[in-house]
This record gives sequence, C-alpha cells and structure tokens, in this order.
Amino acid sequence: MKLHVADYLVIILYFAFVVAVGFIIKKRIRSSNDFLNSSKNIPLWITSLAFISANLGAQEVLGMVASGAKYGIMTVHFYWVGAIFAMIFLGVFMMPFYYGSHARSVPEYLFLRFDEKTRGLNAITFAVMTVFSSGISLFALAKLLEVVLGWDFDVSIWIAAGIVLIYTFVGGLTSAVYNEVLQFFLIVLGLSPLVIVALQDAGGWEQVKANLDPKLTHAWQYMGSADSNPMGIHFMSLIFGLGFVMSFGYWCTDFLVVQRAMIAKNMNASQRTPILAAIPKMLMPLIVVLPGVIAIALSQPALAGKGYSIPTDAAGNMDYTMTLPSLLSHYYPSGLMGVGITALLASFMSGMAGNVTAFNSVFTYDIYQAYFVKKRSDRHYLRVGKMVTLFGILFSIGTAYIATSFNNINDFLQLVFSFVNGPLFATFLLGMFWKRTTADGAFWGLLLGTVAAAITHGCTVAEGKGGWIAELYTVSSGMGQAFIVAMVSWVVNFFTTILVSLVTKPKPDEELKGLVYSLTEKPKYTGEKWYQKVVPMAILLIILTILLNIIFF
Amino acid sequence: MYKRITELSVIIGLFFIILAVILLGGYLLTDALKFRINIVTGVAFLAFGIFMVLVKSGEEG
Repeated sequence: MKLHVADYLVIILYFAFVVAVGFIIKKRIRSSNDFLNSSKNIPLWITSLAFISANLGAQEVLGMVASGAKYGIMTVHFYWVGAIFAMIFLGVFMMPFYYGSHARSVPEYLFLRFDEKTRGLNAITFAVMTVFSSGISLFALAKLLEVVLGWDFDVSIWIAAGIVLIYTFVGGLTSAVYNEVLQFFLIVLGLSPLVIVALQDAGGWEQVKANLDPKLTHAWQYMGSADSNPMGIHFMSLIFGLGFVMSFGYWCTDFLVVQRAMIAKNMNASQRTPILAAIPKMLMPLIVVLPGVIAIALSQPALAGKGYSIPTDAAGNMDYTMTLPSLLSHYYPSGLMGVGITALLASFMSGMAGNVTAFNSVFTYDIYQAYFVKKRSDRHYLRVGKMVTLFGILFSIGTAYIATSFNNINDFLQLVFSFVNGPLFATFLLGMFWKRTTADGAFWGLLLGTVAAAITHGCTVAEGKGGWIAELYTVSSGMGQAFIVAMVSWVVNFFTTILVSLVTKPKPDEELKGLVYSLTEKPKYTGEKWYQKVVPMAILLIILTILLNIIFF
Repeated sequence: MYKRITELSVIIGLFFIILAVILLGGYLLTDALKFRINIVTGVAFLAFGIFMVLVKSGEEG
C-alpha cells in the first residue's frame, strides 16, 4: 500500500494535535492529583467518551472486524451481551462505592474495604497486565505498519511510543483522556465511510444476508447447540461466561475503564459516565463488526466480481486479522486512506495511553506510596508519577520487543486477563453487597480463583492450546475455553470467599460505611430531567439492548 | 479567547476542519485525490468540525 503526500499530511496533523493537547493540559497540572487523577473536574461528555475509548484499542478495532468476518453477526454478543448490562450495573450499583469511598483507584477501594494484602495482590497483577497490554498494542501497531505500509518496525515502535510518552508525561491522565475523545471521533468518523461504501458495493444488507450462511447473520438462532454455530458455544455458556463473569469482571473492576468514571465531577456524573457510554457502545458494532460481515460476504463466489477478498496467509487460510487493512486498501483512495490509517494509529495509541495512565496511578498510589515511601510531599509523588510514566513507556517498548520473539504472546496475555479479571468480580460482588465478607475471605478467594483458572486451562484443550497439565476435556474454540476458564475461576473465588469469610472475623459496621450496600446511604437525585437520572436511563438502555438482540435474533 | 481555544470541543472541531481542508483542497488541486468519497467525507468533516467549534463544552479550564 503506497501513501500520497495528503495521507502523510493527515498523519502528521494527528501527531501534532495529540502532542499539542498534552502541552495545553500541562498548564493545568499543579499536583499529583491533577496528574494522576485529573482532580475530578472533567465534564460528563468527556468522561463518557473516554470511558468507551479506553476500551477502543487496537485489539478491539482490528480484532472485532476480524471476529465479524470469522463468526459473523454473533460477534455483537461482545457488545449487546458482554458490555451494556455490565456498564449499566457499574453505573447504577458500583460507582456509588468507588466514588463515594473517595478511593483514588480500584486497588485502593480493596484496601479500604478489605486490607493491604488484597490491595497489593490486585495492584501488582494489574500493573503487570497493563504494561504487557500496552506493549502488545505497540507491537501490533509496528507490525501492522511494517506489513501494510512497509515502514521500519523499530522506527514505528519508537515514534509511536515517543508521541504517547510526550502527551502522557506532560499532561498526565487529563491529556490521555482528552486525546481518547479525539481518537474516538477519529476512529468512528474515519471508519464510517468505509462501512457505507462497502455495504453499498455489496448491494446492501439484504444482499449481504442472501450471500451468507444464515449461521453468520443470526445472533442467537443457532446457539441451542455448541456444534451448530461458528463460535462453538452454547447459549448458556455465552450468558454466564461472557455475559456475566467476563463482562462484569472487565467493565466493573478493571481500573483502566473504571478510572474514567472515577474522575467525573460529582457522584451523579460518575454514575452516568458508564451509562451514557453505553449508548455509543451499543452502536459500535456498526463500525467494527459490520465491516467484517460485509468482507466475508464480498469474499463469496457470488460477489467475486467486486474484486475484494479477505487476504490469506502462507498456508492459504483466511487471515482475518488483515480484514480491516485490506478493506481500507480496497475502498479508500488517497486522502481518505490517510484518515483510515490515522484512525488505526489512534486506536493503537489510545489503548497504549490508557494502559500507561492506569499503570502510573496504580503504581504510584498502590505500590510506591503504600509499600515504599509513605509520607512525602505532594511534589514528590508528582515527580514519581511522571517517572513512572516514563518507565511504563520504556517497559512497554521492552514488552513489544519480547512479543517479537513469541508468536503467541497475545494469546498468553488474553489468558492472563481471563485468569485475573474472571475471578475478580466475585470479590467485588461479595465485598460490596455482603457486609460479612472478610479480608481473609477476599484474599484467599482471589488467589484460589486465579489458581483454579490456571488449572482449568491446563486441563482443557482448544485449537491446540491449553492442556499443559493433562488433556482432560476438548473445547471446540479458544473463545469457548476462555469462557469455561472464567466461569470456573469465578465459582471457585465466590465459594472460597464465602467459606473463609464465615470462619474469620469481619470488620465492624462503622468501618464499612460508604463501602458496602447495606451500610451506605443511596444517592438521591431530585429536580433533574428524566434523562439526567441514572435509573430511568438505565432502564431505557436495557430495553433498547433487548430489542437489538431480538431484531438480530 | 485562549481559554476557548483550549477547550476540547474546539480542539476536536479544529482538527476535523483542517482534515476537511486537506481532503477538499486535495480534491481541487490534485488528480490523485479526485474521488467523490473524498469530497463527501470532507464536507461531512467540515460540518462536524464547525459544530464542535460552536458547541459549548462545559469545561472549567
């Protein structure tokens, strides 16, 4: 793929703007709270778009288009089952504790609710995950630029990391959040023309459906048996594995996204952040799933005359990961091509910056300040926060190079995510809604849940992965295996936490005020219009999500 | 005036206005960019950019 001068101008313009945002925000940074927490003065529309954009990284954009091509319309489950309900639950039930407890991070909430060791366990695993995740984003970006544009791998890594470093180092979390919103609009508006022209070229949605196996155009109809749908998943596994354990584990406990709601101006805005974010999230399949479905339709013999097909790898198999770049190459002329490539760059950089800013908050507050240097001046922690940003980027670069040596490091990372996030929601669910939950119960539940996840993976095999302990059970897809791992880890954590809590001493009620449901005054909002209230908006979005599932049943 | 320029909505608006200028200017000046999709997208970006510049963002600065 060759770029025109206009395409390079678009890329340079984007780089100039994200760096400029960092320097504009720099003037507002006076304390560690400004740098690491944005001083809780960000408007609702910005926190909501940043909330969704922090999740709109490279794996999301390229990965969901690839899944759309591989699994068809079933990919919408990651949105209409695996995101909206959890985001609404976070807004209605969990933000009052995160925001009301004045915790600066999710691990700090665990410290307030339980104890230091539970915070430490969560903080360390989260910090390691974010650095690896950021590095994988960087690796994927450089690899894509090398394969698609022929750019040098090393130069791509250092330039992208350098730009993210500049705007996160000078402007901290606020700069990352502001750029996430810019990146959100760029990704959505930059990829929208592609969806329109590709759909038009394929003859419209009815033609796409007519040219595809019905299993690729129905979300639920073929889920009665795991063998009859392309994902190889039974609907009960989907609802419990994805819709409950993985979805709630990610959206309700992962500090990377929750941090965007925690920096809102007030309690009402913090609750409405994930709820308003659910609106674009609900529509996101139009941008990231539909192109994949159109691509697979265009690759069918009946539409061969259109001249598009999904690229194949050396073995002749469809290389689904390249679906989006190949669509851009096929449909975008010079000029718009620069916009499309910049949208991809934005998704990689957004994912990386989100991870780095979450990493520096958790490292500074929950590891450095909690375990190493406790009572120093705010200026000291601001300096540390900045240094952690620098080291976070350097670690990410290191991880990106490590990734070049392992062809399955991304699979490994996703697995670690399911080990850590899968059981975590059980800890929060019990911690927030059952005041009898003890610190020892939470710690051992979390630890054994994670161990159970590893053992389950070691005893199951899917697509040649897993089974490193004993090949006891075969699952038809890697995704199905991830759901099983998450479900087992959640159940083990849930029951271990209950059993250990029943035999250990809970904290007195006075210490749990504002941290558990039964001892916390519920926020009341009066005088606002219905769309400014949390519950009516939540109900409306639940109804809309159910309707979408019915329409694409 | 400076405060207004540093609001996020204005920054995003300016970004899309300049993007539109590149697409529309390229369409007018060079054959390599003479595609209908460039002009349609350019006009859409321009409209969005102007809207974002005019809208109130609610930031305190």
